[in-house]
Parts: sequence; C-alpha cells; structure tokens
Amino acid sequence: MSPVIAFFPEASFGAALNCVAIAQALMRRGAVPVFICHAGFAGVFAEYGFKEVHLPLTRGDARSSADYWQDFINRHLPHFALTPLQQVPTYVGPTWQAIVDTAIAAEAGLAEALAQIRPSAVVLDNVIMFPAVAQAGCPWVRVISCAETELPDPVVPPYLSGLAPGDMAGRAAFETAYIAATAAAHARYNDFRRLRGLRALPAGQFLELSPDLNLLLSPDAVRYDRALPLDPATTLYLNGCVRAEAAYAVPVLPDNRGPLVYVSFGSLGSIDTGLIDRMIRVFGTIAARFIVNVGGGLDAYHQVPDNVFLGAWFPQPSVVAQSDLFIHHGGNNSLCEALYFGVPSLVMPYCWDGHDNAMRAEMQGLGLRLHRSDWSGLGLRAAIEGLLADTAMRRRLAEAARQMQDQPGNEAAAVAILAAIGQRT
Amino acid sequence: MTTQRDGTRKTHAALARQVMDLSRARALRAGDHLAEQVFAGLCGVSRTPIRATFKILEHSGFVEYRATQGYFLAVDPEAVGASLDSQLDTSDGSLADRILADRLARRLEDVQSVSHFIRRYGVTRSAVLNALTILHQDGIIERVPGQAWGFRPILDTPGAIDDSLQFRLVLEPAAILAPGFALDQTRARPLRLQMQKALAASDTWIGAAAFHRQDTEFHQLIAQGSANRFARDALMAHHSLRRITQKDLGTPEFRLRQSLQEHLDILDSLEMRQTEVAADLMSLHLRRSRNQRPDAANRGSPPMMRLPVPK
Repeated sequence: MSPVIAFFPEASFGAALNCVAIAQALMRRGAVPVFICHAGFAGVFAEYGFKEVHLPLTRGDARSSADYWQDFINRHLPHFALTPLQQVPTYVGPTWQAIVDTAIAAEAGLAEALAQIRPSAVVLDNVIMFPAVAQAGCPWVRVISCAETELPDPVVPPYLSGLAPGDMAGRAAFETAYIAATAAAHARYNDFRRLRGLRALPAGQFLELSPDLNLLLSPDAVRYDRALPLDPATTLYLNGCVRAEAAYAVPVLPDNRGPLVYVSFGSLGSIDTGLIDRMIRVFGTIAARFIVNVGGGLDAYHQVPDNVFLGAWFPQPSVVAQSDLFIHHGGNNSLCEALYFGVPSLVMPYCWDGHDNAMRAEMQGLGLRLHRSDWSGLGLRAAIEGLLADTAMRRRLAEAARQMQDQPGNEAAAVAILAAIGQRT
Repeated sequence: MTTQRDGTRKTHAALARQVMDLSRARALRAGDHLAEQVFAGLCGVSRTPIRATFKILEHSGFVEYRATQGYFLAVDPEAVGASLDSQLDTSDGSLADRILADRLARRLEDVQSVSHFIRRYGVTRSAVLNALTILHQDGIIERVPGQAWGFRPILDTPGAIDDSLQFRLVLEPAAILAPGFALDQTRARPLRLQMQKALAASDTWIGAAAFHRQDTEFHQLIAQGSANRFARDALMAHHSLRRITQKDLGTPEFRLRQSLQEHLDILDSLEMRQTEVAADLMSLHLRRSRNQRPDAANRGSPPMMRLPVPK
C-alpha cells in the first residue's frame, strides 16, 4: 500500500515550493503526498497535482486579511531598511509573537487534520514546532530550509544576524538583543508546549531537531564548518530542492539586446512598489533585458522601459535557468535555484533569513550583497554590470551547479523520508 | 462583431498555425510541396498573405524555399506542436501587435496621442491609424476627445484576470443551460482530437501558448453553441479579448493537463445532451482556474495573505 506523507509547510512560498519539489520526488516513488495548509494557501498545491487538507479558519483569520496586511505593511516597511541588529526589536520580536499566536491557533485543526489523514510520516518545513506533529503517532521529518544558521553552533553565525563566522563581538551583541526581544514570545510558547506535553526549549529556540530525520537545505557551496557536527544518522544535507515547473518562453522585448536578468523579491518584497519602480528606472539605463516579478502590484507601474518586462508570477526555476543574473531578497529557495543553474546572485535582503543567505553568498564568492534601499543608480548599475562580467565567479558557480545537479536534494530527501518509515526505494 | 474580430486578427502567426494544422490534417510530410494557391483557398485569403506566412515559417525552420520550385515542408507537421507556438508567438511584428504588446507590458499610458505612436514606432500617421483601427475593432482601444485614443480594459493584471473569471463563472454555465444549446460537431471533433493528443503525450510539456490557444478555442466553441444570443455575443467578444491579450500565467503543467481533461469531460456531457452536468462541470472548471496564489507570504510572517485585488 502506498505510504501517505503529510506535508505541513509554513505559509510562505519558500517553504511551500520547497516541499512541492520533495513531494514530486516522493510521488515518482509511489508515495501519496498530502498537503496541510492554511486557508490562504488553498489551491497552491492542488495546481501541482497534490491533495490539500485545509486548516479551519480561526477567529483571527476572520478579520479582514486586507486590513491585517495593510497594517503589517504600514508598520514594517520602514523596518526593512534597518540592519539585522536593528530589526531584532522592531521586526523579529513582534513577528515571533505573531508566529506563536498562529501556532497556538492552528494546533487543534492540525491535530484533527492529521487524525483524518493518518500519515506514515509528517514533513514539517517551518520555523516553529507544533505539538500535534510530534504526537501524530508516526515519524516526523524536520526540513530546515530558511538557512543553515537555523541550527545553532558555536562557530556558525546566529540565525537572522547576517553576520560572518568569526565576528564574535557582533555575535555577542546580536544574541543578547535576540534573547531579550524574543523572551516574551518564548515564555508563552514554552507554556503552550508544556501544556501539550512537550518539553520546554532553550531561550531563543522555537523548534527542536527531529529524532527521526532532519533535512538541511544547504548546498555544498554555502555549507558552514561546524564545531559540533550534526548527527549523520538523523541529519541529511540537501543540495537544493528545485521543483519541476512549466517551461517559460522569454518574451521578445522592444529593446531585446544583452544578457537576461531576473528580479524577484518574493511576494512580501513585491509590495514595496516604490522601491521596485526606482530599480526599474535604473534597469532602463543598462544594456540588458530584465524580467521583474512584481507580484500583485502590477497596476502600480507605468512607462516601463523597453528592456524591462513585468509579471505577476513566473515559473521561477524555468526563468532562472535562462538567466545570466538573479537579483533577489536572499530567500533560500531563490539562492539555491541560482546555484543550481550556476547563475550569480545580487542579494538585496530586507528581513529574516535573507540577511544570512546574502552574507553567505557574498563570502563564498557566489554573488554580491547590496543594501535593500540605500543605493545610488550608479551603484546599482555597477553592481549588476560587475556581476555580469565576473568570469571567475561564473566558474565557481558552474562547479556548484554541477554538484547540485549531480545530487538533486529533492530526490535525496524522498529516499531518506521513505527510509525513515522503513520503505525501500 | 465576432466575424469582424476574427477577420481583422488573422495575423501571419495565426495563418502560419493554420497552414501547419492543414498540412497535418492532409497528412503532408517533410519534403512535400506547399502550393500557395491551394493554401490561399483553404485559408480564405489571397496569395500575398500566404506568401508572407510561408516566409515566417521558413524563418522559423518549418518550411524551406527552393528556387523556382516554391516552398516545401522542412519538418513533419506531426512533429511540431508546442515549438510552433513558442516560435510564432514572438514572430508577428505588425504595428497593432506591437502596440498591444507594449500596452500589456505597461509601456503605454491609458490615453495616448497619435503623434506619440508616430514618434515611438517611427512610422507614418496612416500606419498608426490603420493599427488603431484594427485595435479598435478588437475592442482594445477607443477614441477619446482630442486627437487621442484611450485603452479599454484588457486581461493584463491579476485583478483583471480575476474579474474575467468571475464574469465567466456567471455567464458560461448559463450559456450552456439556455434551452436549445447546440454543439458544433465539425469544430468539436478536431478540437477534441488535439486535446486528447496533448494529454497523451505525457513525456512532453504542453506549453502555455499551445494550451492558451486550445483553451480559448474550446470556450469559444461552447459560447458559439449557446441558444441565448446575448450570452453568445458577450462571451465570444470576451474570449476574443482573452485570446488576444491574456499572457502566460505561469500555470504549472499539472493544472494545464487537468484543464484539458475538464474540457473533454464537458464535451462528453454535451455530446450525451447532459447540459446540466456540463454546466456544473464548467463551473467547477472555472473555479479551479481562478488563481489561488496568495499575494503576500513570507518566512517569519504570520499566515494570511490575500491583499485587496486592485481594480
């Protein structure tokens, strides 16, 4: 009988599409993936051919999502220009409070969904633990897909810090601020865990390692040295998780000269239409073609330059595969897709794991990091042209791409998940 | 109105597709001769546009020109398919198409003067007016006071596409349910075969352009069969607008295949005269086609996500 694997990704496209890639590999091996998702993500997984079980709406969801997001944007857009350390009290702390709220609110519906699905394993790609997952009566798999920094280690920079390894002064300051900013949310979360029969977690941590299997999405090219190696019996490094997507035919532009640059800041980043419009004006001065993912904000743009093409959604892996440069926010999926296809990254992070991935890409010579909004037109143009001309970086990327394509992470993940439930492939 | 639209929009790309479809239907093979006169008659146009169409197909590698002998198929028509669409969708360069492409890409403002078009495209006033006349007949642009033209709503943003699907959800099932629905079997049969063939080729991508063409043909077939003249007319005009202006939505391959299967299921019901079932299946099909992607979601942000749809 085909094993049923329940996926519970965080409500972000990064986690969602990363899980799609693993689920596609599982399906090819005869397993039946089922996605548990928030109502706001309904249909995302069905479009790829997977069953969906929707979490019931909670009282919080009943509030107009439009109002919620307008508040969210008004409150946090200015914070995205701050340093990672400055974001700790302004963005990270309040966001952890909200994540704890949603974890508590989702618990009953999640337990119900798991009881209905009766999976052979649960795959959790999230930043917080849900007691219902641990108590589902089957192995659970943690996917660590934001950044390798999610797993603490004395020589790996702290999660969300954007620091380089070895910056001990920066580390101490960041950890102190982080523990203070997350203390209230953490205390509330630990109370919830105890109530649900799980042990409390150390300060600053919201998710433990699985005793069964942990999948760490960190390609060889960006992997950190660790003082405390991870247990190879329960941890598997993945060389990216690139999903199969529809083929994309690059449009012919009125000014169709030069290399192809793809730009995407994720759905949250695309809300900042003012910033993207500023970038588009600079793109118009560069001898290259630009494909820009502007999400739902397409109506905000006018007089688009002849070498720029805007869209609300692109099958990203297909576009990146044809690109010469990828400008993104440092989401791990975006970085991994750039590496998988050997494309340099210009990373302009605005929050969360983007800072860590931006730093790592730059340190490993696989891309460049640029402040999200503090740049001049000449500076942005120089960064783009410099990356397009960097042949040494392209050689390093070709090697990274070869490694990743030789050992696709989603295939390795599928094999490991089936092994964890005693299935041979 | 519909006939006029179809007539004005018979672009070289559309003719090229028709030539390859006819070659396939007539079981022609690589190396077979393509007679201008014959294809002009089959396509209902003069020899001049057919000659231009052969040149486009030659440029794309589908036919070859032999001096003093004319044009010959360079490939088996059976073997082309999605590659034809991807080549042809970018090869048609008429001024009307360029204006439309620029409007879709948000390079042109809502209202534009004729002199702006002359400057932008470096063409004569009469060329601009001809192109604007074509776009006017397509329902894409209209005269506004002064020497200017204003663009009408097209399917260029997520909000517009959502509006389109809501409109179709109201009207398409109703068009089927109007007593007297009659399916045109002469059009339904080849369309069914095309969709079955696309579904059977499980190891190749269907491709967004090929899907979009089959999708609009299918929905036009359904609209055409409606016994309600106003529903028929409104839907035919809307599908024509969709055919001309809707861009690739990046829909995953699974959903494209699922949509084709839904089309076939609707055809099955209509052929068995189960119009109520067909109308229900149409509602289901359109509901599934509504873009479900959240507008905003991010690592570390609480889950919710549909922003107000911009109108």
